[in-house]
Amino acid sequence: MYTDDTRSRLIECFAVVFPELSEEEIPRASVTSVANWDSVASVTLMSVIEEEFGVELDAEGLEQLVSFELMLDHLQDAERTV
Amino acid sequence: MKLIDALDIVRQSKQSTNELFEVSLVCGFTPLHLQSFLHARLQLSLPDHRVQIAVGAFNDIAGTLRDLRGGRADGVALVLEWPDLDPRLGTRQLGGWGPGHLTNISARVETQLAQLQALLEEVSRSSTVVVSLPTLPLPPLFFTGNWQSSHAELQLRALVAAFAAECAATNRIRLLNAQTLDLLSPPAARLSVKSDWQSGFPYQNAHAAALAGFLAQLLVNPLPKKGLITDLDDTLWRGIVGDVGAEAISWDLDRRSQAHGLYQQFLHTLAEEGVLIGVASKNEPAIVEEAFGRDDLLLMREKIFPMEVSWGSKAQAVARILSVWNVAADSVVFVDDNPLELAEVKAQHPGIECLLFSPKDDAGVYDLIVRLRDLFGKSALSDEDALRAESLRARATLIAAATPDNAEGFSETLLEQAEAELTFRWEKDVSDTRALELLNKTNQFNLNGRRLTEAMWRNLLAAENSFLLTVSYKDRYGALGKIGVLAGRVMESEIHVEAWVMSCRAFARRIEHQSLRQLFEQFRVGRVTFDYAQTPRNQPLANFFSSILSRPPEAACAVERTVFEAACPKLYHRVVEVSHVH
Repeated sequence: MYTDDTRSRLIECFAVVFPELSEEEIPRASVTSVANWDSVASVTLMSVIEEEFGVELDAEGLEQLVSFELMLDHLQDAERTV
Repeated sequence: MKLIDALDIVRQSKQSTNELFEVSLVCGFTPLHLQSFLHARLQLSLPDHRVQIAVGAFNDIAGTLRDLRGGRADGVALVLEWPDLDPRLGTRQLGGWGPGHLTNISARVETQLAQLQALLEEVSRSSTVVVSLPTLPLPPLFFTGNWQSSHAELQLRALVAAFAAECAATNRIRLLNAQTLDLLSPPAARLSVKSDWQSGFPYQNAHAAALAGFLAQLLVNPLPKKGLITDLDDTLWRGIVGDVGAEAISWDLDRRSQAHGLYQQFLHTLAEEGVLIGVASKNEPAIVEEAFGRDDLLLMREKIFPMEVSWGSKAQAVARILSVWNVAADSVVFVDDNPLELAEVKAQHPGIECLLFSPKDDAGVYDLIVRLRDLFGKSALSDEDALRAESLRARATLIAAATPDNAEGFSETLLEQAEAELTFRWEKDVSDTRALELLNKTNQFNLNGRRLTEAMWRNLLAAENSFLLTVSYKDRYGALGKIGVLAGRVMESEIHVEAWVMSCRAFARRIEHQSLRQLFEQFRVGRVTFDYAQTPRNQPLANFFSSILSRPPEAACAVERTVFEAACPKLYHRVVEVSHVH
């Protein structure tokens, strides 16, 4: 249930940053599959996620969080360690 | 506002087909979330428009402003930070901070500000310009500890303050109020070093949201309220004057009633700025007059009109005041210490802003006055502001003298003996803020209710075939100032009027008839067409057309000169024409 909530909130974050993606496409989104996923979109997405989940993402982490799935894993790991 | 909400508003606005409201955001850093917040804030303030934000080149404010000269953007928002004045005043570039640099930095800042001021002057001739001065802290480049202000730092701040004062003096450039921003966005929580170094965006999101909110307010420039109706006992003064007598009421520190003194002083200030001040009080008129006879009152009796003092309902008193002022309830604020009275007035006049005066809450009264400043704040004062209350008083005198069988309110004899003088100015003066203000705040005698942004106004006047006629009025009872605006285009064989408003203070003097006659005479045409549209409030204008056409007006109606002259009543004004453009 907790995981489902995280997933749906993350989908909302992706939806505002990548409005061209449908809800079905978002879980498969990655830097390579989304044409508009440039550096500005990346910074915006991170900022929205930080604000929405109350977490801080460091610069090194950002370079690795290049898909929806990886971000979801990262947020779920963070929740487990709280 | 959270970033996710701002982005959602931006996303929705992009699907709109409403008229564009274009703003250029000029800043030296990556605009990133500031752009999103500004877009969202503007969109919320302008639901009938589709907001579009353009941004300039990174780290090149001067270049961006240069490109905007002569442009037609609805607004330009310049957001300055210290590194824009010298990169050494930031932390992204490492140009050296030693004491030897300080003089050079100061000189460079002075040069940069002079250049920016000249560019802003130019840009402000064609677009509304708003400016935010540096909001982030200066980095620790001075040799003093951070608890001490150094001479070099104070010099920099003095240069920026002088630049701001010069900009504000032009009236075409609006400056963001740093004190108000401080309240909403604490200075210590603004800078994001991480974001600045990672992406070139130096703000915490909360600061960007607050800054964007105020920039949007500056750009949209909301219309101020027109009038304030106040209670007397335990509001304008401390004490129930009917119980304690006129000599025992107070408004000073010694008798712990300073809140009332400050409130009086503020209302006097508002009156001087052209705000209408009325009184609605449950009292004996004689004792109230006695109280206003005291020479230590800070709000003079002559600043108040009308004075509704009786034992009747407050809501009815408010209705009578609104009628004398001839303004809608949503342009008015009502202040009273009694929540029940406020509720009664609100129930009968839902549009009115009702505010509680809590005499025992000093901080609350101070906050109330700050709130009133927001509600009545305006970008600039005009000559007409000083005339408003006086002309209303004159209008009431005229109405009182009117014969009851005259449907328009004034008798033929009164109009004939009024010694009325109308000044018609044919001048497309973009800097005339009064004309646009009148256009945007007049509801009753308004051709179509259309509100124009400053850019739309400039564009209309810039068209080669356009004209602007402003009308000023005075008579033996006093001057009304500029009370009418007509704007439109000269077509091949006719005149097309796109905007026509007249202040409600000027009704029943046949000014509309004289204005239309001037239009026919000026352009020597046989027909004038009007971009008329019915609105919930423009019945007075519809009545005028009906009186000429002998039928209610339709959209895009036309008036033939012969028809007008046949229906036009006798006009008594002396006409003065100031200038010609055609």
